[in-house]
Amino acid sequence: MALLEMQDISISFFGSYANEHVNLSVEAGEIHALLGENGAGKTTLMNILYGIYRAESGRIFWQGQEVDFRAPQEAIRAGIGMVHQHFSLVNAKTVLDNILLGDEQVPFFLPRKKLRARVLELSERYGLKVDPDALVGDLSIGEKQRVEILKALYRDIRLLILDEPTAVLTPGETEQLFQVLKALKERGFAVILITHRMSEIMNNTDRITVLRGGKCVGTLKTAETDAAALSALMVGRELEVPSNTAFCDDSKEMLSLDHVSVFRSGRKRATIDDVTLSVHAGEILGIAGVEGNGQKELAEAIVGIRRRRVRGSIRVEDQDLTGTSVCVRAERGMAYVPDDRQHDALVPGMDIGENLLLRQYNHVPFSSGRVFHKKAIRKNAQDAVDTYNIRTVGSLGIHSPVRMLSGGNQQKIVLAREITPGARFIVASQPTRGLDISASAFVHEKLLEQKRLGKGVLLISADLEEILALSDRIAVMYNGRIAGVLSRAEATVEKIGLLMGGMTGEKEAVA
Amino acid sequence: MKAVRILTRVLIYVLALAAVSVLLIAASGADPVSALGIFVNGIFGNKNSFCEIFVKGTPLILTGLACALAFRTGFFNIGTEGQFYIGAMAAAAVSLRCTFLPPVLRVVGAFIIGFLAGGLWSLIAAGMKLRFNISEIIVTIMLNYIAINFVGVAVHSFLQDPASGLPQSERLAAEVTLPRIVSGTRLHIGFFIALALVVLIWFILEKTTWGYEMRLVGLNPRAAEVNGISVAGGVVRAAMLSGGLAGLAGVIELMAIQKKLLEGFSADCGYTGVLIALLAANRPELVPVAALLYAAAQVGAAAMQRQANVPSSMVSILIGCIVIMLLARAWLSGRVSRRGKQRV
Repeated sequence: MALLEMQDISISFFGSYANEHVNLSVEAGEIHALLGENGAGKTTLMNILYGIYRAESGRIFWQGQEVDFRAPQEAIRAGIGMVHQHFSLVNAKTVLDNILLGDEQVPFFLPRKKLRARVLELSERYGLKVDPDALVGDLSIGEKQRVEILKALYRDIRLLILDEPTAVLTPGETEQLFQVLKALKERGFAVILITHRMSEIMNNTDRITVLRGGKCVGTLKTAETDAAALSALMVGRELEVPSNTAFCDDSKEMLSLDHVSVFRSGRKRATIDDVTLSVHAGEILGIAGVEGNGQKELAEAIVGIRRRRVRGSIRVEDQDLTGTSVCVRAERGMAYVPDDRQHDALVPGMDIGENLLLRQYNHVPFSSGRVFHKKAIRKNAQDAVDTYNIRTVGSLGIHSPVRMLSGGNQQKIVLAREITPGARFIVASQPTRGLDISASAFVHEKLLEQKRLGKGVLLISADLEEILALSDRIAVMYNGRIAGVLSRAEATVEKIGLLMGGMTGEKEAVA
Repeated sequence: MKAVRILTRVLIYVLALAAVSVLLIAASGADPVSALGIFVNGIFGNKNSFCEIFVKGTPLILTGLACALAFRTGFFNIGTEGQFYIGAMAAAAVSLRCTFLPPVLRVVGAFIIGFLAGGLWSLIAAGMKLRFNISEIIVTIMLNYIAINFVGVAVHSFLQDPASGLPQSERLAAEVTLPRIVSGTRLHIGFFIALALVVLIWFILEKTTWGYEMRLVGLNPRAAEVNGISVAGGVVRAAMLSGGLAGLAGVIELMAIQKKLLEGFSADCGYTGVLIALLAANRPELVPVAALLYAAAQVGAAAMQRQANVPSSMVSILIGCIVIMLLARAWLSGRVSRRGKQRV
């Protein structure tokens, strides 16, 4: 008898199926991957199990009993725990308080000592090292994740669901996470892992259920399949992986940063500490590193969003752009694909046409004087929708509000707006975050096309596979500094991983 | 399918409202059928009462427009009441105290100064928001009290009519009042000025780069900043325009209807503007519809109070119900679309 059996689950939103007759069976003592592109219905399926949504049809059996959870509390009580992509922790409280928070078993007067001992014992047993008295706000992302897992384990669960757990981790932390999961598995826990990273699946799971377009397209044993077969199953066709082949022109510098430092008000230590870098024509320079080591500040200093408290000089080709505004830099050919689509790049409440205007609204042909020309705007939007094959919402067409589009289509709008013939240098920050394989391939192809056109690209990414696939050279950021620069030939995951953790390589910290 | 669903929803609303009104009328001891007859007759019964809709609607159009513009551009101006008073006071000062100017210039001057005064009054809140990050909601509400009581001080001192001794200004001379257009009624050209302003604001918001910048700052200030568009510029513009419109509402009410400044002069036109904007979904083009419907309900209710002794506050209760229903609908559909979006 399987621990969990989901049979014939269907749910629809606005008339289209998010899950259509999906079956999933998970045994105790296995790590079961749920694989699929964005929109394939993985999270929806787990939300149904967890009591957040209710299925329109289908049955769920948990430990042989038919169940119908109406709220996450009921699922937790039954022994199912879930760690969401976005953590639900209270930063201002300690680890212990966070673990106890929301636990229905905790008595009104807290026997803190006893409970603390239990948490310590759990963290010892599964290798989830974390200080129970530390403030959650002071923890790294990897540690916060451990707190989330502890929080689930503390509630006596038998099944742990993890939604894209490695998206935010360093290679080392990822390795640790899988050791924890293996320990859980050995003790008879079941783990459901939602992910689309092939290597993790192949190395760590027992079985894989693949979803495509809301339907279940197969459950396979990991040992009996390979990455290529899985991605074909997931995408529904063979996918060409774009790769970086062309050479770059070392003689022409597209971007040069000379001793750039960025300070934050009220803090002595620099957020960006004396960074000197150059990117050549036709080159993609990858910036690897754990997030929060100054990548965002660096991007914003280059693009001009940060101008105060920035030292050093910034040049694009032969123009000195130090101290100039965002608009001036954009006019001189600086393009920016921000990491945060919803907040930095797009205005979700506006439609496609208006979002495409963000850089150019003040210019002919879109407006003259201060009055817009509807026709030019509509044509511009229609052209972008056609060339980039942007999927709009039903009959709304170019008037679809951007918030209703999928992440991949949103990113296409950003690319259509930023990557113009006039763009000379492109700063792309986490450009494929949250995108599925096909959409990521599209973004990668677009960046490589810019490289072939002789433009310069700075690719900031926390995804090492992406960095390795696209970059001509790789700079690793740690603590606001460039910890090392590697050519593609010498770069390996291990070397980069060491630099990401702050171990300086042999190379000089200047590119 | 969708049309049927919307229709059923509207039907449920109408039935619920009808039930509430019948209950309220019965509770006040009147016969619901005859009271509703008086209500309808009170609106359409004669030329005078019909024109009264537009008279009462005019300041509501302007304050509603002020709020709709402000809410669309992320400047949550709850201070239209105060701006209304400040605009009216400035207009009174110009038209009563600048007698050295010819009447035409005094009228034009009252409009300009009234607009600027209302705008600058709300600009105080914009400044606090931008400089110290203080919520403009709190500041504009507090500024209401200051403005209302400042007008109280004014009509006891520098704007008091020395002849009467009452806390009110002297009456505006006929040559500085706004002309009426239908004889025997109070309908005046201010109504058309308000409609023209509706068209203007709609045009600015939807068709110009200026309005685009303002809406952008309202919807996503961070994206504005990332793309090099000044957030402060958008907020200042929104505050100035919104406050100015509320000020103009006060100017027109003074120069066409009240013709003198006195305490309690606004009859809550400013606060009602918030409600009108809500009913119009913050869309300038719908503000006149919402404002005139609201005004019509008030005119009918006044007739009902006079003739059937049903308190006119009944209409306020009904409007409260409508607003809650609208909010519940927005909340419900918001929930549905959030669920739709989580489908990953």
